[in-house]
Amino acid sequence: MSFVDIIGDLLGFGQLSAGEELIAAFIGAAIIGTLMLTNTALAGPWAKRKITAAFTDRIAVNRVGPAGLLIIVADAVRLLSKELIVPEEVDRPAWDFAPIVMAGSAILGFAVIPMGSGIQLADPETGLAFVFAVGSIASLGLVMAGYASNNKFSFLGGLRAVAQNLAYEIPLVLTGASVVLFTGTLQMSSIVQSQQAALLSLGPITIPAWYAFVNPFAFVLFMAANLAEVGRNPFDIPEAPTEIVAGYQTEYSSVYFVLLYLGEFVHIFLGGAIVTTLFLGGPAGPVLPGFVWFMIKIWAIFLFTQWARSAVPRVRIDQLIEIGWKGMLVLSFANLVLTAVIVGVTGI
Amino acid sequence: MIGILKGMATTMKHALDGKTFTVEYPDVAPEVSPRFRGVHKFSQERCIWCRQCENVCPNNTIQIVTDDQRNGEQYNLHIGQCIYCRLCEEVCPVDAILLTQNFEFTADTKDEFAYNKEQLKNVPWYKDIDPLESREPDRGAWIGEGDGEVDYQ
Amino acid sequence: MSLEEPTPDSDAELDVVGETEDGLDYDALADLLGDKVRTREEHLNAEGFVIRPDDVQDVLFALRDEAGFDHLSSVTAQEYDDRYESIYHLKKFDDPTQQLSVVVPTSKDNPVSESAEPVYRTADWHEREAYDLVGIEYEGHPDMRRILLPETWQGHPLALDYDQTEPQIVTLAEHRNPLQEDHRAGDDSDTMFINIGPHHPATHGVLHVETVLDGEQIADIEPDIGYLHRCEEQMCQQGTYRHQIMPYPDRWDYVSAGMLNEWSYARAAETLADIEVPEYAQVIRTMAAELSRMAAHFLAMGTFALDVYGDFTAIFQYTFRDREIVQNILEDLSGQRLMFNYFRLGGVAWDLPEPREEFFEKTRDFLNDMPGKLDELHDLVTSNEIFQLRCVDTGVLPPEEAKSYGATGPVARGSGIDYDLRRDDPYGYYDELDWDVVTEDGCDNFARVLVRLREVEQSARIVEQCVDLLEDWPEDDREIQANVPRTLKPDHDTEVYEAVEAAKGELGIYIRSDGTDKPARFKIRSPCFSNLQTLPVMSEGEYIPDMIASLGSLDIVLGEVDR
Repeated sequence: MSFVDIIGDLLGFGQLSAGEELIAAFIGAAIIGTLMLTNTALAGPWAKRKITAAFTDRIAVNRVGPAGLLIIVADAVRLLSKELIVPEEVDRPAWDFAPIVMAGSAILGFAVIPMGSGIQLADPETGLAFVFAVGSIASLGLVMAGYASNNKFSFLGGLRAVAQNLAYEIPLVLTGASVVLFTGTLQMSSIVQSQQAALLSLGPITIPAWYAFVNPFAFVLFMAANLAEVGRNPFDIPEAPTEIVAGYQTEYSSVYFVLLYLGEFVHIFLGGAIVTTLFLGGPAGPVLPGFVWFMIKIWAIFLFTQWARSAVPRVRIDQLIEIGWKGMLVLSFANLVLTAVIVGVTGI
Repeated sequence: MIGILKGMATTMKHALDGKTFTVEYPDVAPEVSPRFRGVHKFSQERCIWCRQCENVCPNNTIQIVTDDQRNGEQYNLHIGQCIYCRLCEEVCPVDAILLTQNFEFTADTKDEFAYNKEQLKNVPWYKDIDPLESREPDRGAWIGEGDGEVDYQ
Repeated sequence: MSLEEPTPDSDAELDVVGETEDGLDYDALADLLGDKVRTREEHLNAEGFVIRPDDVQDVLFALRDEAGFDHLSSVTAQEYDDRYESIYHLKKFDDPTQQLSVVVPTSKDNPVSESAEPVYRTADWHEREAYDLVGIEYEGHPDMRRILLPETWQGHPLALDYDQTEPQIVTLAEHRNPLQEDHRAGDDSDTMFINIGPHHPATHGVLHVETVLDGEQIADIEPDIGYLHRCEEQMCQQGTYRHQIMPYPDRWDYVSAGMLNEWSYARAAETLADIEVPEYAQVIRTMAAELSRMAAHFLAMGTFALDVYGDFTAIFQYTFRDREIVQNILEDLSGQRLMFNYFRLGGVAWDLPEPREEFFEKTRDFLNDMPGKLDELHDLVTSNEIFQLRCVDTGVLPPEEAKSYGATGPVARGSGIDYDLRRDDPYGYYDELDWDVVTEDGCDNFARVLVRLREVEQSARIVEQCVDLLEDWPEDDREIQANVPRTLKPDHDTEVYEAVEAAKGELGIYIRSDGTDKPARFKIRSPCFSNLQTLPVMSEGEYIPDMIASLGSLDIVLGEVDR
């Protein structure tokens, strides 16, 4: 039974008519959107500070509420009550749409992610293609923000974002495709399903056939490309605060800034969700319910981005492009071909 | 790759050992050294109005008004422009000036930082310091006269 | 310190005019210049050759090429009642004790003098500053504009007839509008003009870098300084030698290097007034100064990592944590964390804090932890492949350029120039201690970082030896200050230029006395000012991130650049 059907059941619709299905789907979407925004709210103003503080021997927020958790509320009030400054000669409405595009596109991706415990809004046959497609809409938002801001730093940031996303989108999709070679389907639930088998049994411990274990090379490649795709260290050059002030964000304030910031975090989580689904067996895991496992996995990937941020220097734009086109692209093709050969020969 | 991993291992080590270096400031104030030079405290009971502190102050933080009998009339302290150099405490022959351990010092406007003799009697940063308190000013070297002719300024 | 003299370059060195076994032979130098030398003056640090304003280039070329004076340390401009005067303080990178001042008087009505810029590139900014503050014009200078004050400023503030009470009224129309369209590169150009700063996350203060970009690459770059100009020279001219000047050096390089700055003034004033500093005080000074240097280098390291890594990451916090420990030690010693005001003419303000054992223990603990912390930094920074990718062979500063621009300190030593005033022009207690001057031949950002990290090790060695010495110092011989008169009035018209090795390089002070208890001219030769001039050499043709990294590796403090 799908997630929408469950909601329909709860509403007492019985057999869903088209209208009822629409209502149930809307409610489902609202639940998932809220869920992801809650995650982001937790990550942005609170978890990120706490994690960074742990790496740097500091204490961080602890004055408002238990463990400083109410800082989320305080920050929300603070950010929303700031004045929205619209610089002269910005290119409206592109300037206004950019934050919405960025935040919206990232949330959209979660529509097809299986989160365990039956939570999956839609499960189309082209799920993986869909999630890659909406994930990269964010690049459009970056360019819009950079170009419309009428600021040279924003402009440079926008250009960098395009160059970076072009260079890393291809390795990302190609590496994702190598997983599809194993599964033979783009449907997210099937990808998860095909990772449930046991890869190895060492006495009582069973290592599942997660693709991170089956093809660790692809996993590492995908993680790296994912960091670049979501613009985190060492690939945070579209923002690069010490070089181009804040890149495409420079001219945004107040609610628009919140949206951009939010978009970034949701994007990190979306990246984490894709990695989880493709390589870490989705919501699978022992004892705990699937949904909890899913959350643990995407938070682990968030933690990893913050960890990388603490100790990895940012690469230069030309080096980034070089790594992308000359390194990652070649490696991801090699991975694809190798996987194809292995799958073809062994006929898994 | 090894270098990057070494770096990441180092930061993770710091994250896991759970130690923090910073303190929770308003609750836990950092300790200051005995020699710390904080806000200026003036002891009217001790002052002999010799005006040496006024002379030595590099930027006119202290202004003293005396009558023609050289009795003290007014002691104006523009504490907002004090640079905490401690020269006044060093020069004072009767230990009337002490730079306290207090470094918490705020006001809304610059004007509020100007005090006269009366206002200085109940300023917040004296707290419960003994008005006659002073510290060993290490004045031995200060009162040297050099090898040449003595010059009393 | 190894007391070996800088090894002479065998053959070439023998031909250098005026260099003898025991220092400079000024007569030989005067012979070299012939009748271009009109008179000879005696300054406390060197002789001054007085020359005509239109002979400047000839004289300096001869001195540079034939007498080996390859370092124009500073240019001091001043106004007398009857004349203007520019003084070129010349030194040698091989042996900075060999000094010569070239004095160029110009008339009151027509203060025009020939520019030294073709001889020493560093004269570019120094002469602009002289023009800006005193009002001497330099003929043949490529870019005779104001440098510290706004271009609309009326008058020259260090000139004698300058009216300080007159308000500087500048109409809005006279200001250049920062938002106006700029077509300085032409309308169909492929380049883009961009203002990096004065408010920018990576300019370490209020530095404004006018940059012309070709894509992401730098086509042209010009640092614009003066946003933090606080008339430090004039403030010092209004203070008495004995006490009132000493609090201010802390505020030039204000990040941590206060003790080193104070020493520069102390050294100049002590030479001027002929004050002998007790040995015990010299050891304390040396220890305090090296602790300061460590703190300053930690900060330099942290902010450089910040520039390259991109966020307030772990490295920045770790270096700040270590710097904090140094500051606690210095607070115990001097009573303040940054604005120490600890040095006095003829010694220091306090003896070590009681109980002494506690202080020694605290310092030793810090020194013992040091190797581990440096290893950690090496793990985090220098061994990181991406960091190497970013820093090796970027921001290259060839040694010849570094010398011509008067770069000193870690910047020069990172370009392989073996120049450290602590060894080459000894002061304090340095020549009694065992330490090494650190140089790296990389000439790039990476080399400069390595120099700083290795210098921290050397400083730790020095501090350790000082602590040993102080621990065993006999109790009845702990004299912290010489007996100095309460009012110092050095003889009329005594001139001195002395420099020390501050955290950023050669920090020189020129003082001319006029018989009163305040200096008549107080000139600060700031290392950052000279070092910053090399930024265009390092970054033209490079990418923006490399420019930011180069700027970080120069380790400038705007308070010292602008003074």
